[in-house]
Amino acid sequence: MIKLIEKIEGEATLDFRFKDEKIEFVDIKFLDSRGVEQILKNRPPLDALVINPRVCGICGHAHLIATVKALEDCIDDLVLPQNAKILRELTLNFELIQNHFKWFYLTLLPLFGLKQYVLKATVPSQTIAKAIATIAGQYPHTSYAIPGGITNEITAIDVAKIKSLIAEVISFFEKETLKADSKDLLECENILKLLQKDGDLPSILNLMIEKEWQFSGKSYDRFIVFGGNSYFQGGKSIKTRVTKNINPNFVKEQMNINSKAKNVTYKSNFYEVGPLSRAMLNKTKLIKDSHRRYADSIFSRIVARVCEIPQLLHHSQELITQIDTTQPFYIKPKRDISKVTAEGVGCVEAARGSLIHRVKIDNGSIKEYEIITPTQWNLSNGTPENLGVAQKAMVGESNIDFAELIFKTFDICSVCTTQ
Amino acid sequence: MRLIWITAIACNGNSHSFLNYPHLEQFLKDFEFVYHPILDGKYSLEDVVCNDLECDILLIEGAISPDFKKANKPIFNTISRYANRAKAILTIGTCATFGGIFAENRTSYVTGLHFSGKKPTSLFHSIKDKTVSISGCPIHPQTLVDTLYTIKSGLKLHLDEYLRPKEFFAYTVHNGCIRNEYFEYKIDNHRFGEKEGCMFYDNGCQAPYTRGSCNKILWNETNSKTRAGVPCMGCSEPEFPKVGFFRTKKNMGIPETLPLDVTKRSYLTLAGITKAFKIKRLEEDLF
Repeated sequence: MIKLIEKIEGEATLDFRFKDEKIEFVDIKFLDSRGVEQILKNRPPLDALVINPRVCGICGHAHLIATVKALEDCIDDLVLPQNAKILRELTLNFELIQNHFKWFYLTLLPLFGLKQYVLKATVPSQTIAKAIATIAGQYPHTSYAIPGGITNEITAIDVAKIKSLIAEVISFFEKETLKADSKDLLECENILKLLQKDGDLPSILNLMIEKEWQFSGKSYDRFIVFGGNSYFQGGKSIKTRVTKNINPNFVKEQMNINSKAKNVTYKSNFYEVGPLSRAMLNKTKLIKDSHRRYADSIFSRIVARVCEIPQLLHHSQELITQIDTTQPFYIKPKRDISKVTAEGVGCVEAARGSLIHRVKIDNGSIKEYEIITPTQWNLSNGTPENLGVAQKAMVGESNIDFAELIFKTFDICSVCTTQ
Repeated sequence: MRLIWITAIACNGNSHSFLNYPHLEQFLKDFEFVYHPILDGKYSLEDVVCNDLECDILLIEGAISPDFKKANKPIFNTISRYANRAKAILTIGTCATFGGIFAENRTSYVTGLHFSGKKPTSLFHSIKDKTVSISGCPIHPQTLVDTLYTIKSGLKLHLDEYLRPKEFFAYTVHNGCIRNEYFEYKIDNHRFGEKEGCMFYDNGCQAPYTRGSCNKILWNETNSKTRAGVPCMGCSEPEFPKVGFFRTKKNMGIPETLPLDVTKRSYLTLAGITKAFKIKRLEEDLF
């Protein structure tokens, strides 16, 4: 049975195969590709800073930051000012925050038979986008991060304004999403305490418990995070066993016979990426408790994604205080990238998980560009003998609408998958 | 007014930019989405491509190609069906208008609805007189919404040669840029990471010859790329994306592309005069 899945930043089809009224296999297909990697070929390296954000309308900022990191990896002895490092992290945090709000209120709620809460998605998204615009000029589709720093200079007034915008979004979260002190939430060790609170998140979680869905949608319990930064720990976690040392060179893409999306593996294994992976690596107390009770189920996936909002907001409030307006925001690289021959890798944590960009520059011209997106990790289309992460999460269910819910807890981005 | 928003070869950036429109609550009372790629409506995508639903305005996001299918149906068929019954058609973004970034992939024939870059195509000729182009990568949400309200009110829009509303596209992105004084007096020592300086002379800013409203109506009600030191990439124009961003191509020290309708001779004359100015205020840091 084939089902068209829409409103996932494009579409995908799921072709379900049943045995004894249970899903035995799901073929995940993406039907078109836009050829961004081809478009980049033979262009000057800095063009990638303009083209790549346009890979994706919802997480384009992650593509910008991955691009600038990949380009900087090609320049020897590059000095990156601390201010630029902080501000890039901040604008990326802000993108994650708005993506999570949009996913919860626009994508997830309808899957529970509820109406979309359009304004609850757009109000905090617009507020945090103002913070991005203050730093980067506009959102979406800016190119403000360049090798050596950022294009803008941030003033004390900008810092004060950004702080108040973050505070506004924290208030929104505490008023609508989870009626509690969000700082306490960061220390909370018991997921059951969350269920006793009011707000849109506890309502959904309680609904899941009522429907006995809290154990559904488990996959391999195998997580990976490549874009470590001042908040996220990089590494992999297999059934809570954490290894910090991972190398993006072991990440491989494979063509798919019947889908335009490529599969991705680390040392030949499929891994889950995204907020649950990040929480497992960060050992976030609340999410670890959810994982201990319900493992890598849709419950843990949902709570991990939404609870990343206050974590990132409070962390951003800390980060912004570290800006030193007397120090530089850009230091011109000693080597001109339009003349180099080199290879570079850039890894970041996008809303949906690890995003990897690889570039080969030959004499100041892009020879090859490879983009590996989070959705490719989660949605790799394996075989019945070797299922991908989302496939494994859906197998064994009997209802395809419920399988769609499981599928969408990975927060699918179709356009990224088919760059 | 009933709207159908259909996405072709796109990144969804326009859909998301639209969600940044600050008065969305009122907008959603005044307009009804029969279909939108993110917001829920009464119908599914399959309903849209298989049926003939009511539609007053058709909005097209993304470049189009005869090979491209949406929900298994050729996008050309879906566009034709709704364009014929709609009162107006809007191309949303540079891809839908001119082909944009995804037209750079030369493996198939990818264009905008009526234009392939600057060149008019023969596609959908019969509906051209009811098309309005809102270019930009992405669109500024205000330009889209204001245009929709104008159409709803039955008022006449003044359009340019690419069918873009002049209210937004008769201006250049340069208009309203707070770095203008550095341009006027030709102070060409811009460095990234600073509030001072103009990116036109060395860093590839296309604002003086790009039509758009970026500095007329600020982004996210806050800022613009050029104000934040990002050179204008010319994303609302038919030739976007040109090759070689962040760098001003020059011949004998003169920028290859001059501000809109300025001749080389008058540019050189003006440059000579501005060199006579020595404005201390503009040579120092602002703060």
